[in-house]
Amino acid sequence: MDKETATIALAVVTILAVFAAVYPILPQNSEPFSELGVLGPNLKIGGYPTNATVGQQISLFGYVGNHEGMVSYYQFLVKLGNQSTVVSNTTAATAPVVLTTYEVLANNQTVTFPLSIVLHQPGTNEKLIFELWRFDPNTSSFGYTGLWDQLFLNVTSH
Amino acid sequence: MGFRLSCGNLFVFASLLLLILSSPLVSRTQAASQSDFGGAQSVVQSAFSAVQNADRLGGNVTALVAQLNGALSLIQKASAENATNPAQAAKDLANATSVAQKVASAAGPVGQQGSAARQLQFYLSVGSAAVIVAVASLIYIFGDRIYRRLWLRAYGSYEVRKIG
Repeated sequence: MDKETATIALAVVTILAVFAAVYPILPQNSEPFSELGVLGPNLKIGGYPTNATVGQQISLFGYVGNHEGMVSYYQFLVKLGNQSTVVSNTTAATAPVVLTTYEVLANNQTVTFPLSIVLHQPGTNEKLIFELWRFDPNTSSFGYTGLWDQLFLNVTSH
Repeated sequence: MGFRLSCGNLFVFASLLLLILSSPLVSRTQAASQSDFGGAQSVVQSAFSAVQNADRLGGNVTALVAQLNGALSLIQKASAENATNPAQAAKDLANATSVAQKVASAAGPVGQQGSAARQLQFYLSVGSAAVIVAVASLIYIFGDRIYRRLWLRAYGSYEVRKIG
C-alpha cells in the first residue's frame, strides 16, 4: 500500500469513527406527527357495522400513535353527528360527544383500545365522528390535532 | 323541672335519630360531582406536565407514563360507576388523584437523572471523538516510523542468503 492510499484510508476510517462517536448526541430532525385509526370489531381495518339498534352496544377499537418526539397526552372523542355535520383537518365537529377516552403515550408508542358505543336515538345515515385532541401544557387545555375519522350508521329503534 | 324518660319522649327521640341518620347528608355517600372529576383531571394534567419536562430532559418516563394511564383508567372507571356505586367511584377518584400526585413528585428526580445521563453521554461522545482524532493524527505522523521499527524488531535477526 502506498503512502497516499494509506492516508486516504486513515482519513475515511477517522471520519466514520468520529461520526459514530457523536451520533447519539446529534439532534433528531424528523417531522413530528400523531396517528389516529378506527378498527373494526376484529381489530382489523374493515368489518365496520353499518346498522345498529337503539341501545345496542357497538364494539370498535381505537388506535393512537405518538411520533411527536416527546411524551403526549391524548383525548379521543367519539361524537354523534348527521350528514350535515362538518368536520375537517382544521375544524372539529360541532356535535354531542358520546364517548371520551384518554391516553398518555411515550414517544414512538402506539396503543389500541376498545370502544363500546351505545346510541339512544334512531336515525338514518348517522355519522360517528372520531377525533384526536392533544393536551398543551402551555394553555392547560386539549387542542384539536386535525386528525379525524367517520363511520356512517343506520340506527333503528328495534 | 326534671326530664323524665317516658314512652312518648323515647318515641320522639328515636324518630329524630332516624330522621337524622336517613338524611342524605349523613348516611349516604354523595356521588362525585363534576368538580371532583375536574379536580382529578387537573391533578393528572399537572402530573403530565411534570412528566413531559422529565422527558425533555432525557429521563426514562416509561414507568411514569404507565402510572399516569393507570390514574386515567381509575377516573374513567369512577365516571362509569358514579351513578350506581358512588362510594366506589369516590374511592377510585381519590386513588387516581393519589397516583397522579406520586407521578408528579417522582418526575423531578427522573428528569434530573435524565439530564445527568445526557450530560455524561455528551462528554463521552466528545471525548471519544477527540481521542479518535488524536490517535489518527499520531498514526499519520508517526505511523510509518513505528511500522518500520516494529518490522525491524520482528525480522531484524533474519539472515539473507544468496541462493545458487
